[in-house]
Amino acid sequence: MTDEIKVDKTLDVKGEICPNPDVRTLTTLEKMEKGQILEVLLDYPLSVERIPRNVENRKHKVLKVEKIDGTDHRILIEAKANRE
Amino acid sequence: MNPLIFTGIAVGFAFGFALQRGRFCMNSAFRDIILMKDYTLLKAVGVAILVAMIGFAIMDKTGVITVNPVPFFWGALMVGGFVFGIGMVLAGGCASGITYRLGEGMIGAMMAVLGLTLFGLMSSKGVFHPAIATLRNATTVTLADGSAPTLANLAGVPFWLMALIISGVALVVWGVVTKKKAEQAETGEKTSVYQNIFKKGWGWKSAGIVIGAINIIAFYSSALAGRMYPLGICGGYWTTTDSLITGVNQMNWLSVMLLSTILGAFVAAKIAGEFKFRAPPPKTLVQTFFGGAIMGFGAAMAGGCNITHVLSGVPQLAVSSILGGAFLIFGCWFMAWILFIRPMRNLD
Repeated sequence: MTDEIKVDKTLDVKGEICPNPDVRTLTTLEKMEKGQILEVLLDYPLSVERIPRNVENRKHKVLKVEKIDGTDHRILIEAKANRE
Repeated sequence: MNPLIFTGIAVGFAFGFALQRGRFCMNSAFRDIILMKDYTLLKAVGVAILVAMIGFAIMDKTGVITVNPVPFFWGALMVGGFVFGIGMVLAGGCASGITYRLGEGMIGAMMAVLGLTLFGLMSSKGVFHPAIATLRNATTVTLADGSAPTLANLAGVPFWLMALIISGVALVVWGVVTKKKAEQAETGEKTSVYQNIFKKGWGWKSAGIVIGAINIIAFYSSALAGRMYPLGICGGYWTTTDSLITGVNQMNWLSVMLLSTILGAFVAAKIAGEFKFRAPPPKTLVQTFFGGAIMGFGAAMAGGCNITHVLSGVPQLAVSSILGGAFLIFGCWFMAWILFIRPMRNLD
């Protein structure tokens, strides 16, 4: 996949049950440095809608939500982008 | 067998379709309040209850249905509800959640349904049944005329009147609250009606209204077939499996409705491109199986799952369902705290 955004870390949570994709995304973001980019690969429809909502609430920045194929999605998030 | 049980096919199909499109899961709804401070699905559940309450009130007033609250066996409702709440966090979904995800091809949900069915049967008529029956009998409270308490008969007013008062008050309160917050303007690209219904997940308002409306039709359809109760889930799995194993036909409106629910969810997922067989690691599969098993035990004890109690019992103003539902939420929060919130806190 060609992309202009450089990914620092990839989290593959395909197949995971509710709410593991969300929880693992949030905990991973907390461990990352401000400005680093996390790539989340997932196939659980509810989390595809819910993760962007909830990471923004925690002052991370959603850069991209894209459909790869069928249920497979890819979300790019900048860790702690909106924090002081 | 009453041929009118087959009206459940249409109801179930619509229910499954709406569950999948609305991502309607009470485990997520209740858990996300404390885990994510996300109220989206909770609002969908609230709207569904409100719509059903108004519909049940009108049908009760016109004599189409008679409200039929679950008996008030408070001990079994508290323990069963709490246990069910714990189970659904481990299973990764409530009874409706695992059912629509079964239709999406999620193997974790299939394991949960398997556990729910096996342990539900053991609890509703097998080895665990005597203990459950004892707890129920020891804690059953009825009104003087032998009926189960509801907020209406406790206050001495007809059900339809109480239901309209409560839903009216709820609507006014909701109106005030949303006015204060000033509705956020809808942003994003324009999408066609087709895309909104079949491709994108539904918003909480649409999901709640549609599921509430389906429950109104469900009550009518189910009553026609001689089953005076709206939507449920667990009993459908049990009667179907029991019929298959014993060869004795116990299929009722709920069994037929449930099988069609899975089909409806499958079709909805297929159209949206959200169907795929997918599995979590083996350890998680074991967890969802036992989560489902705990749910089955809890539902058999409490006289129903989250659909029977929260979605169908609360709009009938059944005190049993309000108590059972409250303990289901406590159980959900307790397990969510152990499994997710505590580990997340330790991170800092």
